[in-house]
Amino acid sequence: MGKEKVIPIFAIIIIAISIFSSIYVYATHVDKDTITIGDLEYTIDELFALVDEKAIETVEGEKTGISLEDLISKVGIGCPSCHEYTIKAADGYEQTVEWDILQTGILADIGRVFFPDTPKKFWVGDIIEIEVI
Amino acid sequence: MNDRMKLLAGVLVFGSMWGFSEVIIGSQMHDMGLPSGAIMSGFFALTFLVVSRMTFKQPGMQLGMGLVAGGLRMFNPFMGCHLCSAIAIAAEAMIFEITWYKISSDTDYFKKPYMQASLGVVTAYVIFIGGYVITQILTPIAAGANFYAQNLIVFMPKILASGLLPAIAGGIVLPILVLSKKMDLTLKDRLYYPVTLGISATCWLLVLGNFFIA
Repeated sequence: MGKEKVIPIFAIIIIAISIFSSIYVYATHVDKDTITIGDLEYTIDELFALVDEKAIETVEGEKTGISLEDLISKVGIGCPSCHEYTIKAADGYEQTVEWDILQTGILADIGRVFFPDTPKKFWVGDIIEIEVI
Repeated sequence: MNDRMKLLAGVLVFGSMWGFSEVIIGSQMHDMGLPSGAIMSGFFALTFLVVSRMTFKQPGMQLGMGLVAGGLRMFNPFMGCHLCSAIAIAAEAMIFEITWYKISSDTDYFKKPYMQASLGVVTAYVIFIGGYVITQILTPIAAGANFYAQNLIVFMPKILASGLLPAIAGGIVLPILVLSKKMDLTLKDRLYYPVTLGISATCWLLVLGNFFIA
């Protein structure tokens, strides 16, 4: 088969893959107002009532929220430094971080985590779960 | 005129314009809530990569452009992820080099509009997805954190879906670039260095100026 056929077929396959992926992403998008930590569900308001707010300095300036270090302690996770934490977003995005990174971060009231010393890639937004591994 | 010097000036000017567009235009689009990464890859990156390749027909040049643009991107004062954007730009240039290794010397690819559009779709999608995936892998490593393959695997459907916009843009942009190439836009030799170096310097000064003002 010559390139006159191969390239257009590749293009059609690519368009088909991206359309089916879009449908899949839309169909599997999780809509919920709570954040799962461990086995329990919390609303943002409940979490903010549990932990005092603090500010951290990031590459995008000052961000305010509740300390993830205090949060993990308050929700009853034993030996926090023994675990890793996968922060999951509603759209399927997730980042796994170790305790030494997590403890530096905050959870803002917009449902997004911020860390002072990491690339923005780790700032997961629209959080639905913090899985303790 | 020394061909090597001319090529070097070409790397500098195209790389600077690419980096400038990423920093200034990309950041503005990001602030407006537009899918800046997809638009930058499908329109700006593809334009600079394809025009430079069709003009100079020199494999390897686009990797140099990626390094210049990535370097400029590191000075971006507007968006926090300097590192991942710079990695993405360099990765896009490298993937373009691989994808287009033999294409620029084969005119068959540019004869028919459907071939141009198909090539635009494939190129834009591959550089965008490839850049995205490589960034996801290298950014945590470069930042001193661990890379977890599971994080990438579960997010692949979203990454593949996000390539739709650049793919469509590529299918439109590449035929336009081929059409515009038919116009004679070459510079006279005596103007080549002043123009290319002037544009490059302007791009760098504007980005650095923004860095110190912000």
